[in-house]
Amino acid sequence: MNPIEIGRLMRASATGFVVGCRLSQLDTPSLGALVRVPLEPDYQIYGIITDIRVEDDGLVRQLVTSSDLSPEVIADNRINRNMPVEISVLAVGYDRAGKVFHLLPPRPALSLDSIYLCSPEEFIRFTGENRFGYFRHILHAQDIAISEVLAAHLQQGTSFHNVSGENTWLESAARELITLLRDDYPTLMMVMSALADLEMVPSGRSA
Amino acid sequence: MTDQVPSETIGYVVGGELKSSLYARLTVPSQEVQEGAFVVMENRDWVYYGLVTNLALGSTNPRFADEQSEQRYPEYLAKQLYGLTLFTNIEILPTLMMDRGPDLEDPAYPEWLESHPPGSVNPIPVKTIPPHHTWVRMANAGDIAEIFGSEDSPGFYRVGYTREQGLPVCINLDKFVQRSSGIFGSTGTGKSFLTRIILAGLMKYDHASVLVFDMHNEYGVDDIASDTHQRVPGLRSKFPVKVRLVGLGARTDIRGQTPDFSLEIDEKDIKPEDIELLTRELNLKETTPTTLEALQQSFGIDWFNEFKKMENGKTEEDENGKKIPSPDSTEGWALKNGVNVAATAGLRAKMQRVFNLPYIVPNPAQNGLNQIIQALEAGQHVVLSFGEYERDLDYLLVTNLITRKIRERWAETTNKYRGHGEKEPRPLVVVVEEAHKLLNREMANQTSFSTIAREMRKYYVTLLIVDQRPSQIYDEVMSQLGTRISGKLEDDADLSAVLAGVAGKDTLRGMLAHLQPKEEVLLLGWGVPMPIPIRSRRYDDSFWQELLGKKDGKAKSMDELTRSIGL
Repeated sequence: MNPIEIGRLMRASATGFVVGCRLSQLDTPSLGALVRVPLEPDYQIYGIITDIRVEDDGLVRQLVTSSDLSPEVIADNRINRNMPVEISVLAVGYDRAGKVFHLLPPRPALSLDSIYLCSPEEFIRFTGENRFGYFRHILHAQDIAISEVLAAHLQQGTSFHNVSGENTWLESAARELITLLRDDYPTLMMVMSALADLEMVPSGRSA
Repeated sequence: MTDQVPSETIGYVVGGELKSSLYARLTVPSQEVQEGAFVVMENRDWVYYGLVTNLALGSTNPRFADEQSEQRYPEYLAKQLYGLTLFTNIEILPTLMMDRGPDLEDPAYPEWLESHPPGSVNPIPVKTIPPHHTWVRMANAGDIAEIFGSEDSPGFYRVGYTREQGLPVCINLDKFVQRSSGIFGSTGTGKSFLTRIILAGLMKYDHASVLVFDMHNEYGVDDIASDTHQRVPGLRSKFPVKVRLVGLGARTDIRGQTPDFSLEIDEKDIKPEDIELLTRELNLKETTPTTLEALQQSFGIDWFNEFKKMENGKTEEDENGKKIPSPDSTEGWALKNGVNVAATAGLRAKMQRVFNLPYIVPNPAQNGLNQIIQALEAGQHVVLSFGEYERDLDYLLVTNLITRKIRERWAETTNKYRGHGEKEPRPLVVVVEEAHKLLNREMANQTSFSTIAREMRKYYVTLLIVDQRPSQIYDEVMSQLGTRISGKLEDDADLSAVLAGVAGKDTLRGMLAHLQPKEEVLLLGWGVPMPIPIRSRRYDDSFWQELLGKKDGKAKSMDELTRSIGL
């Protein structure tokens, strides 16, 4: 399966980066999704989408006040608009020489590097074997909806892991979150509440 | 913490100190562990033994405990939340530790084995504590046998079972008879049954002779249990050759059975101190010792008989027709010997209760006292039933008198053994019920019992005290008790008395108070390696079957028993 490119890097720091993409590309990336930025043949950075922002521009401001917008105008604005959709990605690890690390990448990606959505296999490789070290980057991140990002990420991850036969991944992830957050009651309750709203539960259990 | 969690693990050490308790986090549901559980902590070369003394519910944040997560979250989440934020900590009283050396495969093992030959490694009192995250597990049969001994070893006698796993717990009878012991418990907690079990063990294994002062006639002959109304075999029924049943007074009948012989006390055997001991019972005055001393000075060993013959207020007329006390009157004797007349007359009146005792006679047909001592020296056991004489007066007078004689006799034979190499005295255990009547603070120094408790260990005589009010027993006597076996106690003072001088008494206190009202006892003291609550053996037919090795539960034949005592 060909890798799915979701955009190119606009700006980056040690802890994350912002990807720009066309509005027409936005049907693929979603909140909580795991993405990767291949930098060298044996080095790539992983991140989790924590925000997707559609900024306005002068034309949009004018158009939204118009009384009658035709479908063609809306489509034209979305396809040909100059302002990119901004996807905020939190760096959660990297892969070097075939080994996955849940540490911040040693150096950030560069402008216009391509960002790809992780395939289920890549997702499982990064999140498998009961390794949840990357959770700490999410829990320590500022200005993100931690509980919602986590819930979205776990929902996606559960579907991938269930297909692979690893039916206890969600339970393990929940255990790790409770362990990490048991001294932070308000945050844990927010996360638990979000997890309770997930559509799926571990196989063999009922909500 | 090691990577591999051992099976049977119930938790891991999270804190604590040597002086008080260790704390461990439970990894199993709290209901699987009870107060008093015998637990083992193993860390590398050392194994530690301890008792669970408390369980406490905890939470990483009080709000986790306040809110019922089961109702808010899916089951899988609620269960995780419950397990990770709510927990149970146990408090462990560390008692013993043992060097078990490196693993067999460890290169250091041969060197360790050389410096620790088999048999040289024994549990010792704790001197250090296991580190954090040492795994804690319930003791298994091997651990129990390591600490309390195995029934297969000579001298070890099963008295009960651990409460959780039902593993057999033994006491070392040799050690048990080396120092005085006590069996305590509120009324109805099974003291008498437990005493029977211990006595049966002593009699079966012949580690010592036993003299039982059976105030309520319940040990010698068969009885009916007050609660279950079942037949309770007496010790004489089960050991007809080893046990001599003695009745107090002539023609005494013990629950329809004739005793082996009767005990009548010679008046000459009664000494002034025997009467002084009855000060409270007879309401004697402070002048009593002086008067008794004068009586003994005046009449020697016949003082009791002579005093008995005196009459209060008997007068005669002198040559002038004036009434004066006659020479055979109390007053006449007192005037003649310069003793206070009123005090003597008062003492005479108060002693009338003693003079009326039918088992105190001038010249008894047989010397029951000597027969008791001879039987005990010959390796038999004596149950002295008080028959109808169940008053405190009888009990105090007779027990003290016999014990005094025994003390004198055993001290004499011990000195002959030590000085002249004669036969070693046979250890003797004197069983005293209602011990607080004889060993309370006021009387302890006057009776022979306190001397036995304090000093007679070296003369081969020890006490087995059976009582429901240990707080009433003199502290100095309590402190001498080697083995203490206690059922449930409720009074604070009694709890303190039983635990006096025991390490970790504050933590054991709750355990003692929380024992089941029946069949649960706490073993503690010098005679047991470490305190442990147990479910005591049941005194029933199966007990006797196990002890005597006979399926029908009946006593051995006379021939078998005769052979068993070496006759």
